Amino acid sequence: MNIRHIAKKAGVSVATVSRVLNHPETVALKTRESIEKIIAEAEYTPNWFARGLNFNKTRTIGLMIPQILNPVHMETAKGVEDVAHQKAYTTFMCNVEDDPNKERRYLNQLMQRKVDGIILICSSLEENDFKAAIEQGIPIVLVGGCKVNPGFNMVSVNFQSSAQKAVGHLIDIGHQRVAILCGNSQGVENEEKLRGYKIALEKAGLSSYEPYVMYVENSIEGGYLGAKKLCELKRRPQAIFTTSDMIAFGAMDAIKDQSLSVPADIAVMGFDNVRMSNLVEPKLTTVDMPLHKMGVYGARLLFDIIEGEEAMEEPRTILLQTKLRIRKSCGHKERIGEMF
Amino acid sequence: MMKTEFLGLKMKTPLIVAAGPWNRDGKRLKAALDAGAGAVVTESVVSDIRLDVRPRIAYDGAGAQNIHLYSDIQIEGWERELDIAKSGGGIVIASVSAHTPSEVAYLATKMERFGADAIEISVSNPMGEALEVAASHPQVVFDITKEVVSNVKIPVTVKLSQNTTNISAVAKAVKKAGGAGVSAINSIRCILGVDIETGRPKLSTYGGYSGPPIRPIGLASVATIAQTVDIPISGIGGVENYKNVLEYIMMGASSVQVGTTVMIHGMNRITQIVTELEQWAETKDIESVCQIRGTALRKLKSFDEIKIEPATSTVAGVPCTVDCHKCTSVCMYDAVSKKDGNIFIEKDNCTGCGLCTFVCPAGKLVLNW
Repeated sequence: MNIRHIAKKAGVSVATVSRVLNHPETVALKTRESIEKIIAEAEYTPNWFARGLNFNKTRTIGLMIPQILNPVHMETAKGVEDVAHQKAYTTFMCNVEDDPNKERRYLNQLMQRKVDGIILICSSLEENDFKAAIEQGIPIVLVGGCKVNPGFNMVSVNFQSSAQKAVGHLIDIGHQRVAILCGNSQGVENEEKLRGYKIALEKAGLSSYEPYVMYVENSIEGGYLGAKKLCELKRRPQAIFTTSDMIAFGAMDAIKDQSLSVPADIAVMGFDNVRMSNLVEPKLTTVDMPLHKMGVYGARLLFDIIEGEEAMEEPRTILLQTKLRIRKSCGHKERIGEMF
Repeated sequence: MMKTEFLGLKMKTPLIVAAGPWNRDGKRLKAALDAGAGAVVTESVVSDIRLDVRPRIAYDGAGAQNIHLYSDIQIEGWERELDIAKSGGGIVIASVSAHTPSEVAYLATKMERFGADAIEISVSNPMGEALEVAASHPQVVFDITKEVVSNVKIPVTVKLSQNTTNISAVAKAVKKAGGAGVSAINSIRCILGVDIETGRPKLSTYGGYSGPPIRPIGLASVATIAQTVDIPISGIGGVENYKNVLEYIMMGASSVQVGTTVMIHGMNRITQIVTELEQWAETKDIESVCQIRGTALRKLKSFDEIKIEPATSTVAGVPCTVDCHKCTSVCMYDAVSKKDGNIFIEKDNCTGCGLCTFVCPAGKLVLNW
C-alpha cells in the first residue's frame, strides 16, 4: 500500500494525504481523522529514508536537557514535544547531566543524524561550540538561561527582575533578614537571580550579610544542607529565598528537622513553581516560571525556521513573564494575594 | 444598509460579534458571519492552553459571570480555524492575549499570516490575571501595542477595561503606540452571588461580569474615550438589541460588539439585531454610521453647562388604571399622591428630580427638560 492507494481509498487527493502526514494541523479535523483511520488500518508507514532524500528533511529535532530528572526541565521538554508531535516530528531527547562535554558530544551526534533543528535548554555551551552547526545551516533555538545569547533565536524570562520582585515581596511582608540559597549549577540563571536578590535588598536599604549568601547544589539535598547551616547561624535569617523549588523543598525539610516552623520561624520562597510546590505543606510561595510555555515557544521558533516561514535575517527573542505565586510558606497579610 | 468603517475595514453593518467562548472555533465564527455580523472576533488566542474549570459560566437572568479562560485551540490550530471562518467571506478579527510585548507580537504575526483582517489585543481580562489587569498601566499597554503594530501590517485595536482608574489614559497610550482603534469595555471583575444555603459563591473564583447590567458602564467608558482621544472605538458591554447598538454609536462608537446576548439567546439574535437596525436606519434615511455617530455625545454636558430650569413633574393623562403606587412610594419630596386613578403633583414640593417619570410603568408622568 502506498500513498496513492490511501488517497484513493479515502476519496481525497494525494496532496491531502500528504498534508495529513506532513502538516496535519492544516487539515480539517474530520477529514484528517478519516484519513488517519485508513492509514492505520492499512498499516501504512511512509518510507522515512526516502522522505529524507526527497524533502531534505528527516522530520526529527534534537532536544538537549541539562538534567532529565529535574521536573523543571521535563515541563519544558513536554512543551517542545507537544508542538513537535503536532507537526508530526520525532524528538530526540539528550540528557546532558550538566556536563558541557556530554552536551558537545550530543550536539555533534544530532548533527550527524541530520536532525532538522536543535533546541537547547539552559545550555552551557560557548559560541565556538555552535560553529559547525551554524555552518551547516542547522536551525538552533536556545531556551532558558543559556551561556550564549546574542545571535541566537531564544526564549527566556528576566531572571533578575523575577528574583528581585520575589525578594521584594519577602521584605514587604516584614522580613528584614533575608538569606539566599543559590544553586551552583552551570548557566547564568542563578547569577541573575543572585543579582536580583542583592538589588532588592539594596532598594529596601538593607545591607547584605555575607553568611546569608550560600551556594548549594541545585537539589533537595543541597537545599537541606544549606538551610541547616543557616538555621545554625547565631543571627538566624527570617526568610530564605531559594533559586529553585528543589532547594526550597530541602530547606523546608531542614527547618522542620531543627524543630522550627515554616513560615512562623523562617519563611521559605521557591523559584519555578513545579507541580509539587502546591502539594508540600505548607504550600510553597514561589516564582511561577512559564516552563511549559518556554518549551512551546522554543519549538515554535524552531519550526518557523525549519518550515521557512521566517526569513533568517534576525534572530528572534521571546521574553515571557514570570509571576509571583503567593501561597503559605512565607506568611502574608492578605489572602487576596493568593487569588490572582 | 447602515455601513461603517472601523480600523479602516469597510463593514456592511456596525455589529461585530465579540471575543468569547461563543466564537471558539472556525465553525462558530462562520455561523456568526452567516447570521449577518459585520465582523467577528475570535475567542482570545493564547500562547499555551489551560484546562477549563467546571462550571465556568453562571447567569442570573440579568448578567453573566464567566471564569472561562481563553481559547482551547493552540495557535497552530488557528490556521485551520481561520480558513473555516473565512470560507464564506467576511471580516475576522483575531483576539490575542499574552503578557509580554514579544509574546503578544508572536501570536499577532501568526494570526496575520493565517489570514486575520485585524488584531484585537486583550490586555484586560479580569479572570485569572493579576489583581490589577495589564490595561491599568498605560506604559505596559503602550509597549505591547507598539511591538504588535511594528510586527504586523493589519490594523490593531486594543480591548480596554473599566477595571482601571483612568481608561482615557490607556486609550491615549494605544493611539500613541500606533493602534488603529480601541474596543471598550471588557467584562468587569465580579462575583455573581452566593448560595446562602451552602455559603458557596455561584462560581468558584472571581470572574468577568457581562450582559445588560454593564451597559451603562460601557456607555460611559466609550463616551470618556471619545471625549479624550480621536481614535475609532468599538463599543462593548450589555448590548442586546438594536437600540443598544444605536446608543453606543450615538456615544461615539464606530462599531458595536455583542457577546453575552448571543451566548444566552443564540446566533439568531445577531440576525434580529442587524435586521432591526436596518429597518430603523431605513425609516430615518440613514446610510452610514457616521451620520449619527456622537450625536448624544454632543449633548453630554458638564455640571456647569446644565441650565437649572424650574421643571417639575406633570401628569400626562388620567385616569391611571394601573394598580400600582410606584410614583407615590419613590417620591422623596411628598409631592406625588394618587386617589381613584387620579395622580396629583404638589408643585411646591416637587423638586424635579425626575425619578417618578422613570419608574411609572404606564408613562403617566413626564418632566419636560
